[in-house]
Amino acid sequence: MEFVRYDINKYSPRQMVALPLVLLLLAGILLGYTTLTTGLPLKPGIDFAGGTAVTAFTSDSRETIEATFSGYPLLSVGEGIGGGKYIQFGPMDDARYQSLVALINEKYPDAKVDQIGETFGKTLQGQAFLALLFSFIGMSVVVVIAFRNLVPAGAVVLSAFADIAVTAAIMQIIGIPLSLGTTAALLMLIGYSVDSDILLTTRLLKRKGKLDEKLAGAFRTGIIMTTTTLAAIAAMWVVSTAGQVQIISEIASVLLIGLFVDLMNTWMLNAGILKEYILRGGKK
Amino acid sequence: MKSETIVHLIKDWRVALLIVLVAGSLIGIYLTPPNPANGLEGNLQFGLDLQGGSWLQMEFQSVVVAYSTDKPVGDLIENLQKSLEADVIQIDENHLEIRKGVSRADLEPLFAASDAKIVGYQEGVSSFTADEVKRILNDKVNALGMQDARINLLTPTGSEYPQYVRIELAGVDMATAQEIVGKQGMFEIRIQTTGNETEHVLYGDQITSVGVPQRSPETQAWGVGFTLSDAGAQAFRDAALRYGAVDNPNAHNLVMLLDNKTVYSAPLSGDLAAGLRSAPVRSLSASTGTGDAGLEDAMTLEIHLRAGALPVKVNVVGSGSVPAALGEHFKTTVAIAGLLALLTVGVVVYYRYREPSIVIPMLAINLSEIIILLGIARFIQQLDLASIAGLIAVIGTGIDQLVIITDEVLHEGRVPSPNLYMKRYGRAFGIIAIAAATVIIAMLPLALMDLSTLRGFAIITILGTMIGILVTRPAYGKVIMEILSK
Repeated sequence: MEFVRYDINKYSPRQMVALPLVLLLLAGILLGYTTLTTGLPLKPGIDFAGGTAVTAFTSDSRETIEATFSGYPLLSVGEGIGGGKYIQFGPMDDARYQSLVALINEKYPDAKVDQIGETFGKTLQGQAFLALLFSFIGMSVVVVIAFRNLVPAGAVVLSAFADIAVTAAIMQIIGIPLSLGTTAALLMLIGYSVDSDILLTTRLLKRKGKLDEKLAGAFRTGIIMTTTTLAAIAAMWVVSTAGQVQIISEIASVLLIGLFVDLMNTWMLNAGILKEYILRGGKK
Repeated sequence: MKSETIVHLIKDWRVALLIVLVAGSLIGIYLTPPNPANGLEGNLQFGLDLQGGSWLQMEFQSVVVAYSTDKPVGDLIENLQKSLEADVIQIDENHLEIRKGVSRADLEPLFAASDAKIVGYQEGVSSFTADEVKRILNDKVNALGMQDARINLLTPTGSEYPQYVRIELAGVDMATAQEIVGKQGMFEIRIQTTGNETEHVLYGDQITSVGVPQRSPETQAWGVGFTLSDAGAQAFRDAALRYGAVDNPNAHNLVMLLDNKTVYSAPLSGDLAAGLRSAPVRSLSASTGTGDAGLEDAMTLEIHLRAGALPVKVNVVGSGSVPAALGEHFKTTVAIAGLLALLTVGVVVYYRYREPSIVIPMLAINLSEIIILLGIARFIQQLDLASIAGLIAVIGTGIDQLVIITDEVLHEGRVPSPNLYMKRYGRAFGIIAIAAATVIIAMLPLALMDLSTLRGFAIITILGTMIGILVTRPAYGKVIMEILSK
């Protein structure tokens, strides 16, 4: 495993935090720019923008499907293995929708169809934003209470924030939309991210011994933790993507990206800040 | 492992608790009641997306307004009803339910015209109305003998009033689901002629509005008011005159039927008979008697008068359906995903520790955690795709925390003395307790939010984390200690 060869003690705190901070800044610019131009930090999926999603198993090619539904606001056609197709439509009025449903029933009677109205999507958006906000605040409060020390707690909160921001920016770049599923994954990321951060902080601040050894030990444990989680999520991603289970596939892709981002933020950003803090004698 | 070690382990309360819970969960899933026909699934409940069926989410076209006024509220209600052509109902001292999707800006001038002020405005209905909607939908579904229907009222976070109703029907396609929800009964009013003979007066389409149960100030009797169209009122008067109900009300009961079953029968009141003599009457009231029984009858009658129509207009804002075959396919897929996740986790952990006596307990603990989780979920949470994602996420965090314990305890590769062991275990437990607390806090908003279809995901994650911290981690700590001290 490549990560294990990264010598966490080779770099100065300044070097460690540079890359994550630059990436966080870039992510901030990207998300800020998208918010200014579209009103939302990320491209919304059907849950939030309204529209219709269809999962069907068919031997029809993408072109055939595009031709079949050319009269409707077709957004995309995704393909899995075994003929699985995931077809998305933008919002449309009720008459149009009824005719679409009739067409789907005729062509693909065994399809899963889900439809969300545009205004209801807006309500869901607002609710998801509230969830994200409350989660983040709740997490920060728990961390501050647990450590009762602003610098280490701040480092954990900052690194969790960076996890979410950078992951969101990557989602926007590679085109994973913000949906209920991906919002849940971002929330889950808060939990995962804090796991390794707390391990790191506790090891460095509460254990006796040389800083270098503690850091290396924490890193060894942290890497194995994140790789096992990655393994579980990767399995979930492979199977659900192949089997066209859209919501699990979405959750898994965001968690996969997020866990890699978290590796960087924990072992460069958070570790860098803590190292500087300890070197300056913050620890008694 | 020697047999005495095993006995020693089982006597430990942490391990014993784990075993009891695993056994209890298996019994809950497979034996209470026994369900061999379902095979491995036992008594687990599955959501629509794994089972097949349809869902409809509907938004109430109604708002709740908090108001203040110095004038009698009756005038305000009457003015509003007239100008909005909608039912307006007083919920409590200072809240009105306006059964129409109308914006605050449109309401302001109407309130001002009646010398009243809007203090608060929220979309939705009172809980009373919401329950009535739920009751009506339940009746419809039950009347069709549907086994597996779920009807939930949804209140957005930040609002006090239910704004949506979501209905889930297992094993039903979309068209049927829409028909069930939209279907109305046939309501008819007939009049008694001679003996048991009755004649048709009017059908339910002549009823333009139905009120809520109210108590008459004079007689203390409960009743339900309803309004007829002009044509309906004319037909009503003609029938009352023709069959002599005006002259001799007690011999000519008015009979109300829903789908040809009598739901109400009573004579005209003296006042009404006198009124009908001179002109058609549009506003009528059916009295149901005094006391709690009267109120209950009035509530039922109200539903009947509406003939299965909901008291509030609803708009479908979301809908979906999953054919059973596809649900079956999803079920297989997620089962493979779960097993594969467990397996890859096993491989990674083995790669790291290369020690079966650590890896096997780790995986066994992880598996038991999932069994307990499913055992509890069987009673409180149907498994949908999102909650299965939560389940797999729990495998991930679970193994994370076992790694923390193992590494903490095995510090510097030496097996510690029991004292040192407990100290290190305590430290490890401290780390995972904080981590667990943050996961629970982070997921809590999602678990509490009515609207999110991801409730299952959050609930399973929180439950899994709690089982981990309360049951399986302590047991693992004990097991690994026994093994390492050999």
